[in-house]
Amino acid sequence: MKVNYAWLKDYVGDALPDTGEVTRLLTEHAFEIDGIETVGSHAVIDVDVLPNRSSDCLCHRGIARELATILDTDLKYDPLAITPNLAPTDQIQVTIADTNACPRFTAALITGIEVKESPGWLKERLESLGQRSINNIVDATNYVMYAIGQPLHAYDADLFPKVNGKWQFGVRFAAPGEVVEILPEGGNSESRQVECVGTELLIVDESSNTPIGLAGVKGGQYAGVHAGTTNIIIEAANFHPTITRKTARRLGIVIDASKRFENEPSRDLPPYGQYKIIKLIEDIAGGTYEGTLDVYPEPKENLAVSVRVSKTNALLGLELSQAEIAAIITRTGSTVTEAEPGVLSCTGPWERTDLLIEEDFIEEVGRLHGLLNIVSVVPEKAAPGAVNVRQYYSEQIRQVLLAQGFSEVITSSFQKKDTIQLQNALASDKSYVRSGLRKNITAALDANFAHTDLLGIRAVKVFEIGTVFGKTESGVGEHLSLAIGVRQKGNGYTPKDDAPLQAAITTLEAQLGVTLESTSEQGVVEVNLSEVFASLPVPATYGTSKERKVTTYTAVSQYPATARDIALWVPAEFEAERVLAILQANASSLCVRIDLFDQFEKDGRTSYAFRLVFQSSERTLTDGEVTNIMDTINQVAEQNGWEVR
Amino acid sequence: MKETQGHQHPITQMIDEINHIFTDIGFSFEEGPEAETEHYNFDQLNVPKDHPSRDMQDTFWFKSKDVSEPTVLRTHTSPVQARFLEAHGAPAKIIVPGKVFRNEATDATHEAQFYQLEGLHVDKGIHLGHLKGTLEYFFSKFFSGKTEVRFRPSFFPFVEPGVEVDMRLLEGDSKLAGKWIEVMGAGMVHPNVLKAGGVDPDEFSGYAFGMGIDRLGVMKYGVEDVRDFYTGDLRFVNQF
Repeated sequence: MKVNYAWLKDYVGDALPDTGEVTRLLTEHAFEIDGIETVGSHAVIDVDVLPNRSSDCLCHRGIARELATILDTDLKYDPLAITPNLAPTDQIQVTIADTNACPRFTAALITGIEVKESPGWLKERLESLGQRSINNIVDATNYVMYAIGQPLHAYDADLFPKVNGKWQFGVRFAAPGEVVEILPEGGNSESRQVECVGTELLIVDESSNTPIGLAGVKGGQYAGVHAGTTNIIIEAANFHPTITRKTARRLGIVIDASKRFENEPSRDLPPYGQYKIIKLIEDIAGGTYEGTLDVYPEPKENLAVSVRVSKTNALLGLELSQAEIAAIITRTGSTVTEAEPGVLSCTGPWERTDLLIEEDFIEEVGRLHGLLNIVSVVPEKAAPGAVNVRQYYSEQIRQVLLAQGFSEVITSSFQKKDTIQLQNALASDKSYVRSGLRKNITAALDANFAHTDLLGIRAVKVFEIGTVFGKTESGVGEHLSLAIGVRQKGNGYTPKDDAPLQAAITTLEAQLGVTLESTSEQGVVEVNLSEVFASLPVPATYGTSKERKVTTYTAVSQYPATARDIALWVPAEFEAERVLAILQANASSLCVRIDLFDQFEKDGRTSYAFRLVFQSSERTLTDGEVTNIMDTINQVAEQNGWEVR
Repeated sequence: MKETQGHQHPITQMIDEINHIFTDIGFSFEEGPEAETEHYNFDQLNVPKDHPSRDMQDTFWFKSKDVSEPTVLRTHTSPVQARFLEAHGAPAKIIVPGKVFRNEATDATHEAQFYQLEGLHVDKGIHLGHLKGTLEYFFSKFFSGKTEVRFRPSFFPFVEPGVEVDMRLLEGDSKLAGKWIEVMGAGMVHPNVLKAGGVDPDEFSGYAFGMGIDRLGVMKYGVEDVRDFYTGDLRFVNQF
């Protein structure tokens, strides 16, 4: 919600601190601030209004009220403080098919207005919020919405048929397949035809049963205000949050009006919207106010909630007195009385629909008193809870496999093809959940084999412990699975891969003291761990925690690595570390690793074979570049009296 | 090249570390299914029937032909709160590290699957000060340096009051040191969640928190793209 600072000041008055302080106060006591920008001469604060406050705070008055509450002051001007006194009219009527879907509908008639450009101040304010000025009437509807949060819509009364002396509105659900023509959306100039599925609430011209708008979501072209309009009807209503949200989401139209109705603004708000826009239109478009239709079949009032002093302090960890708590809640505009000693009876202000239970009021006390005042209670050492079998044995299995050179991967739970397909997939190649880990482990073996030089390994050895899914009699079942894979040759599985796998399984069996039911296939073995764990004893403790090194990760280069080998005859006094250090010092920063892979002695000399791996994080290295580095290394070797084999 | 020790995935390293830190102060490690019913994933957690998070855009749903009741890939580890309270009642002092799923576009900070750490402590007299102290204790251990925590107002359906938690590492030369960082959502367990678990909110109170373990990894190790955790690429894993 973009908030114009000067506009806020209209309501808060001189008590409003500067934008920096406003940011701090809102951040600490109410909402996160997404940013502050300057639009022309206006400072605009982007406030991230929380979902439970979107009913009253998606408008300048709401944010102003919040600031006044935090500052413990009164608003200088509060548009919601004056009870609107609207003369009735019998020239408009409305038929509401479902009063739960539309709890309130108001329509005001104003005659003799002049459609023209908005005055500068109005244009500037709307533009500071990123809204394009259209004409004084449309701008007035937007202004009132940003001022107090009530969405409004204006019709040309002369384009709207008056039948039997009345303008006849209707609010009903759409028939499946019914088409509504709605106003163009942001950037588009073409109106849009929307085909309904039947869950949409429509505003209709009851006299001809013609749909004229999607209630709470988007108005239509029907009887639109244009340059020559002189008589207008302004609609201000209240629509059911869920119905509004479903329609808006289905059609991908989330605009200011739907965002507000979705969050259940007060049913008392529409007359305030009318009152404010009638005054504004008189000011900027002239005309005569004729009267308002107000149909309010489903009144709803905030109920009194008992708030205990003891409960308030117990949840917040504070020691506030009853008087302090009462004072804080009163600041929110709530009515507070003592029900009995230690219990306050609190009724939220009518515009807030979120203060429904004791905890809602306790939250108000906590944030207004200041969450920064919460004092930490340092936890005490305690007897450990029961050991989790799955965590304990999974960790044990990991340590066994790590010791045998296996590295752990975590792969995607989604598959291109498997047995259980999701109803709504992320992408066509991720629409199934995995029934086993084998496919992913095979893919990891394939992918990693290309990097053995870079990783300084000869064989790829990986494992994963993760949940897999399967169909059961009652639905979807799942269990924990372990898969271990080995790949020693680049062109795929060889029978030689079975030996290290078998060794791993044998060691695991010895460690866990069980026989593992496993199936080995193409260099990957998979075990159902849930079955294994079910038979294992529950250990008393996890044991001591492992020392873990602190690693700072370096992003993997996207460019290929190149390996070169060098074999050297070196006098016996040069040990491997020294040779390695000399090579490293001369191999340039493009050499990302050097591994000693062969070593033997003969006639007082040692033969060392090193593999040097080159890679850039910025580009693909050319053959010539690497050859140049190797030439330098050969020269260094000769200078040291080594023989390059 | 000699056979060397393999490398443990940073996520499971962190989970092990987290478990040890919380075990010392009496929390037990709990788990729950990844294919979770709508009942536990949403209903028992006071998420309204029509809440946006239930939408297809945010949640992976199983096909109705495959399941006996509406089932999702769990969107958070919080259903384990509901399951635990229902099975054991209060007091409850648990952590739930586990894999969760969100049906949203992926980028460097979002992945369709990630790991979450849930914490729940329900007992007589538990308040926000216990939450703050416990989180400060945890972060100080996990980031190996004195860490302070502050709360800001927030909203989640399963807590009331709800808070956003920021942390600041006070010591060390880590990149994190000295800066307030938003790390998680938390709050006092909503009375509806307690009641759904058969716990009397007038007798017991409790806090709950939920944070992304991947995000902890981003902070702890400097990982820049959370998708790297799930590629199966040893060029990533072998750095840990």
